[in-house]
Amino acid sequence: MTSVREPTTPTKTDPLEAQPTPPPQERRLPFSRWMGQVGWRYLVGLLGLLFALFPVVWSVSAAFNPTGSLAAQQLIPDPVSTVNFQELFARPFWRWFSNSMIVGISASVGTVFLTAMSAFVYSRMRFRGRQLSLLGLLLLQMLPQFLAIVALFLIMIELGRFFPEIGLNSLGGLILIYLGGALGLNTWLMKGFFDSVPKELDESAKVDGASHAQIFFTIILPLVKPILAIVALFSFIIALNDFLVQSVLLTSEEVYTLPVGLYLFIDQDYGARWGPFAAGALITAIPVVLLFLSLQRYIVSGLTAGSVKG
Amino acid sequence: MSQAAGGSGPGPSGPGPLGPPSQESLGARFQAQRGWWSRFGDSALGVVVKLAALAAFIALALAMIVRMVSLGAPMWAPALTGLATLGIVWVYLGRGKLPLKYLVPGLAFLLLFQLFPFGYTIYIAFTNYSIANNLSYEQSIERGIAESMQTPEDAPEFSVTPMIEPDDLEQGEIALWMVDEEDDEEFLGTADGLQPAAEVDPVVEDGEVVEAEGFERASLGDAQDRLEDFEELRIPLDPDDEETGEVRLVTLSRASVSEPTRQFDEERDALVQIDLDTGEEEAVYPADHDRGFFIDPDTGQRIAGVPGWRTWIGADNWVRAFTSETIRGPFLQVLVWTYIFAGASTLLTFALGLGLAITFNESRIKGRKLWRALLIIPYALPTFLTALIWRGMMNRSFGVLNDILPGQIPWLVDPTWAQFSVILVNLWFGFPYMFLITFGALQSIPADLYEAAKVDGAGPVGRLRRITLPLLLVTTAPVLLATFAFNFNNFNAIFLVTGGNPPISGAATPVGHTDILISYTYRIAFGAGGGDYGLASVVALVTFAMVAIISVFAFRYIRPLEEVYQ
Repeated sequence: MTSVREPTTPTKTDPLEAQPTPPPQERRLPFSRWMGQVGWRYLVGLLGLLFALFPVVWSVSAAFNPTGSLAAQQLIPDPVSTVNFQELFARPFWRWFSNSMIVGISASVGTVFLTAMSAFVYSRMRFRGRQLSLLGLLLLQMLPQFLAIVALFLIMIELGRFFPEIGLNSLGGLILIYLGGALGLNTWLMKGFFDSVPKELDESAKVDGASHAQIFFTIILPLVKPILAIVALFSFIIALNDFLVQSVLLTSEEVYTLPVGLYLFIDQDYGARWGPFAAGALITAIPVVLLFLSLQRYIVSGLTAGSVKG
Repeated sequence: MSQAAGGSGPGPSGPGPLGPPSQESLGARFQAQRGWWSRFGDSALGVVVKLAALAAFIALALAMIVRMVSLGAPMWAPALTGLATLGIVWVYLGRGKLPLKYLVPGLAFLLLFQLFPFGYTIYIAFTNYSIANNLSYEQSIERGIAESMQTPEDAPEFSVTPMIEPDDLEQGEIALWMVDEEDDEEFLGTADGLQPAAEVDPVVEDGEVVEAEGFERASLGDAQDRLEDFEELRIPLDPDDEETGEVRLVTLSRASVSEPTRQFDEERDALVQIDLDTGEEEAVYPADHDRGFFIDPDTGQRIAGVPGWRTWIGADNWVRAFTSETIRGPFLQVLVWTYIFAGASTLLTFALGLGLAITFNESRIKGRKLWRALLIIPYALPTFLTALIWRGMMNRSFGVLNDILPGQIPWLVDPTWAQFSVILVNLWFGFPYMFLITFGALQSIPADLYEAAKVDGAGPVGRLRRITLPLLLVTTAPVLLATFAFNFNNFNAIFLVTGGNPPISGAATPVGHTDILISYTYRIAFGAGGGDYGLASVVALVTFAMVAIISVFAFRYIRPLEEVYQ
């Protein structure tokens, strides 16, 4: 396979940063040629931006609109009102929020730890069954765990009879399920990055008497932080964003997470309350977007390495 | 972990964002840390930490085994837990087995919560497991007997006092203080059974019991507040044998013994209905092990109020899925639509993403970083939020789109419009990802290729067709396949926008015109009018097969595969 790019390991930096500085413009182009070469790009870009941001702007506006619907409002509501937030906080919104954070952060930390250990093994050790199990993990990556939702649901019912802490309607059970999907999704991605750390480093450390655990924790892990960050971010977002499993496993409002909790506002339960829903969406989205944008350059290169966000 | 993080600190020259670490900086780091571990080495500290972790693990496993045994789990469960624990201890206790030491935690989760559920799905697909058949055979017999309680005319009666847990009046357990006036005996009755007064040493004031076993006499108001709970309280005379009957409240001061009117007859493998006053058999309900129900021979139907049990029914679910008109038709429609949805989503996101990437692949544009940051915002937002926002915007009567655009467009109501709408929404979800991918790929196409093409007289369209697209497809084909596979199961984009609706008429299961296989599975199992776990598992397995076929194609394009065979 010929390739113009090297996709195996995410070694590329952000394409925009790698861009050489443009040559200084020598002379002004006539307007028509400028339109033909550059100007139209601004117009297309504006159209793209309109499509991309319209729903976002509209829901921000809806969050502050006292009429509580998504229609017939000015872009800047008059008067700007916080009644939607009050209605939102009258429900256990913060409970859902912290539940989602608990699940997301636990799944994220656990996933990073489990995958880093397995990536370390596959990158640094040679043993019987290595190739076979690596191939098996690749196959698993293609079979999404949530397709087995019926089985997961029934298993969690049985588990909950003995261990309510990790059975149906528990955050613990949810976290366990996400950790079950960890290895299949991320081992290959991480292994690729581990491979890019020179082996001579651990060999010389070994000569100095370092144990395998010391090599793993003090040499390798600090060097692969970028990929740890990506896997952490994506497993956090996958856990945060998952309506399917959470709506099946969580059955009472006090263990609800954001997806199932906020869904109550627009499903008939709370009587289609769009205003409070938009308010909740706004509060939820802000930290996620900030996290995303701050890790943007990692994400751009992580994407090309093959990770897919839900 | 914290050691590692602390050790790295703001090093002299950390590796670039994702670049491979430079040899030099590593050398410096390594030198700086040599002292750190020579202090601990392979020493006592490591051993102590390891043993402590192992001890904690064993303690947890033991606690789990004790809990399982005490709650009456089938013996294989604690036995298997014990074996697995021994295996894990064996891995970590000795020297060597290094790969396993690092792999065991991840593999354990993988085995329990991914592989096992897959296997279980296959099993369920061959059973009648459903909301109506969700018990074991033994549980079903118990329910059949428990549902038949009646109070005979000469039933023993008690005068009772409602008792309540004083710290939790609203949710706490309840009990009855029961006085058998005929035999002059007193009991404390709870859902767990009867305890003679002597065992619970009650506190008596003015000849009346006011406290026993943590319960206190309920005031009339408190008892009235929980009247329903008291009415539903069933106090078994002998918790191990439901055929002996149970005590139920008649009024807040009286209770009487009810007895089951059904008994299980092992020889005939049937529930037998008995007249309590005469002791005569009234009816026989034989067990039907093919359907998992007790059958009333007069009607040929299951007896009401008794949930059935799960049984192995062979390929029945599969036959039903592929031959029954009311299932096969919608199933095939969903299958075809899943391919259309995934294919159209992938192509359109690629087209729009590439179009924007070409647009911004021009260094003379000002503020490209800002443009990019704004354009990828849809990708940064959790789809469970934005899908619901689109659902609101597309609402026919109060959605903002119909407010702005002319005409009353039935975005989510008309079958064809709804299909268009979910693809539009999914385009919005997905184009920023394709924009990022193709933008990166475009930059790696050498500029002199375009120069050469220009010299040869190729116009912009020719350059796009003959240079950009072919080169781009080489690098983005795996991404396109992965995107297709992802959209194939893109639950949020369907279920949260349309709920799978509008419904397909004449279908035996809940299903709609925009349902894809995964949302179809979900609705068969958990939707209103669903609850058919067997059929849902069949659909899930068909989906597996489809994804597997896609994967076979995908594998051919995935570079890492080559490394496996190195």
